[in-house]
Amino acid sequence: MKGHTLFNWIFTILASLVLLFIIAPLAGMFFDSSFSEVRTTAADPAVRRSVWFTLAIAFASTLFFAVGAVPLAWIMARKKFPLKRVVQGIIDLPVVLPHTAAGIALLGFISREGALGGAAQKAGILLVNNGAGIALAMAFVSLPFLINAARDGFAAVPERTEKAALTLGASQTRIFFTVSLPQAWRSVVSGFIMMFARGMSEFGAVVIIAYHPMIAPVLIYDRFNTYGISAARPASIIFILVALLFFVLFRVLATERRVLFKREDDASD
Amino acid sequence: MLRTEKLSKRIDAFSLRDISIEVGKGDYYVLLGRSGAGKTQLLELICGLMNPDRGRIYLEGEDITYKRVQDRGIGMVFQDLSLFPHYSVKDNIMYPLRVRKMDLKERVDRVQRAAAGMNITDLLLRRPDTLSGGEKQRVALARTLVTDPKILLLDEPMASVDASLKDNIRRLLRRLNRNGQTIIHVTHDFGEAISLASRVGVIHNGRIIQEGTPLDVFNHPVNRFVARYAGIKNFFRVTFITSYKSASAISEKRTRFRLPRGEYPSSGLLIIGSSEVLLSRQGASGFGINNIRGVIDDIVPSPTGFEITVNAGDYFYADITHREMEESRFVTGEKVYVSFRPESLRIVGNGEDIKEY
Repeated sequence: MKGHTLFNWIFTILASLVLLFIIAPLAGMFFDSSFSEVRTTAADPAVRRSVWFTLAIAFASTLFFAVGAVPLAWIMARKKFPLKRVVQGIIDLPVVLPHTAAGIALLGFISREGALGGAAQKAGILLVNNGAGIALAMAFVSLPFLINAARDGFAAVPERTEKAALTLGASQTRIFFTVSLPQAWRSVVSGFIMMFARGMSEFGAVVIIAYHPMIAPVLIYDRFNTYGISAARPASIIFILVALLFFVLFRVLATERRVLFKREDDASD
Repeated sequence: MLRTEKLSKRIDAFSLRDISIEVGKGDYYVLLGRSGAGKTQLLELICGLMNPDRGRIYLEGEDITYKRVQDRGIGMVFQDLSLFPHYSVKDNIMYPLRVRKMDLKERVDRVQRAAAGMNITDLLLRRPDTLSGGEKQRVALARTLVTDPKILLLDEPMASVDASLKDNIRRLLRRLNRNGQTIIHVTHDFGEAISLASRVGVIHNGRIIQEGTPLDVFNHPVNRFVARYAGIKNFFRVTFITSYKSASAISEKRTRFRLPRGEYPSSGLLIIGSSEVLLSRQGASGFGINNIRGVIDDIVPSPTGFEITVNAGDYFYADITHREMEESRFVTGEKVYVSFRPESLRIVGNGEDIKEY
């Protein structure tokens, strides 16, 4: 058993070092800032605006893209088709791209000269230097988190329950909403939270599309560049705390799925 | 009522070939076959979860080969029952009624009736994951029957039920059938087929190799595979020798069998049930009886007593009861006579060497 104990010790030490590496900088940042500094920064209207703007845009972006991402996840889980692996590669692509490069690619697409940007401008919508452009940048780099989590969720739904619903007379649409989605719900929400969290912390792609209006990560960068680390630190703390709060809140809500996903006529009969 | 005409379907390396069956109204049709024989696939073709490559399906005279699953009026209970885990028992049973946009009162009435019929009224508020195998089976049946299906397809309905509860489910299915429900039931268990079926179809490697009443199939298996399915172990490939006053057969291992007088083909398979084989030290007496000498090779306990294997060149299997064993005290290696009446021997198929797929 001695060898086993040694093994446990080595692994525990290695694991602790990695955890320490994550915790230490964050803890250091909290210890290096005074409470009054944080309070003053929290009262700064520019910081407040930027934090709420970031949360709102990240949430809207996730919600908007979920409309297409969830069906795509279902297709990836259920259907066999040629070049499926290529499609999966395309879905994963934003994760491996340098985010500034992704931002440049996206800028070409949504600027006035680009395909989407040109079309949007004809409809009177400008996609660069505003919330819409930022939402697109956030979505571009964070979509894989939602698609892949939802795909795993749908893949874990026993296909037979869907077949059973077919034999009971349900349409495919009905089966999706009453059989597949409720069973995959936890994974879909978890993917939603991951996409939201990843989207709101995005800097590289967003800063290429729009420096203003400032989202929190850009604001932190701007404070750092203009005033140095001591000015950037309180803003970072506030953003981290708010982000954590929302992250925990969504997790709690997701585990209470009946609250979020009430069935069609639960109450009536 | 239901007729399939040369249904064929290729699924990866496996294929169902030329399946033609006919199920009359009120029939209890059991499809018997080993796992991987294509039973489930055939059910999925009939209810429309898959489309055939060739062939047609007719229900009450109407061609339903390419009709949507939802519109066929065929109910199916899957082997794993496929209850919706996120719904209560009540919501599971009510699911097909909601789909049909029935009004609330009618839905509640129907659910109550179906639950009462299956004796699960007290389970209505429970979740499927809190139910036993037998209870789940009843819920799945109620959920399907609440739609009044023209035909009920059951895929291995006894598979998830404890042995002690099988009788219960069997009684339930018989009662359903007595009340007029046409049923197609898939199983690998010949006992289940005998106890329930009005007709049996034996499916093997994607083909129906024999069809008939359970007794027909049991007494006249078309080949060694079906006979083995019916629990028969004594097989002998023989050449028949007939003259104007006697008939006999000689096996490949030179065992000689006396047969009743009659017409025989030149060669074929002979079978005899293990319970019709007697063992003794001195041989049995009686006109024309077969007495074959051999050595006891193995003695294995069975549910009713013992199964004794005798090596007489050919191997013979005999079932004896506990009491017979106590009296005779046979031991391995002992020389014995294997005895049976000529009338107990049956010829497989029509004596023709039917290919075993």
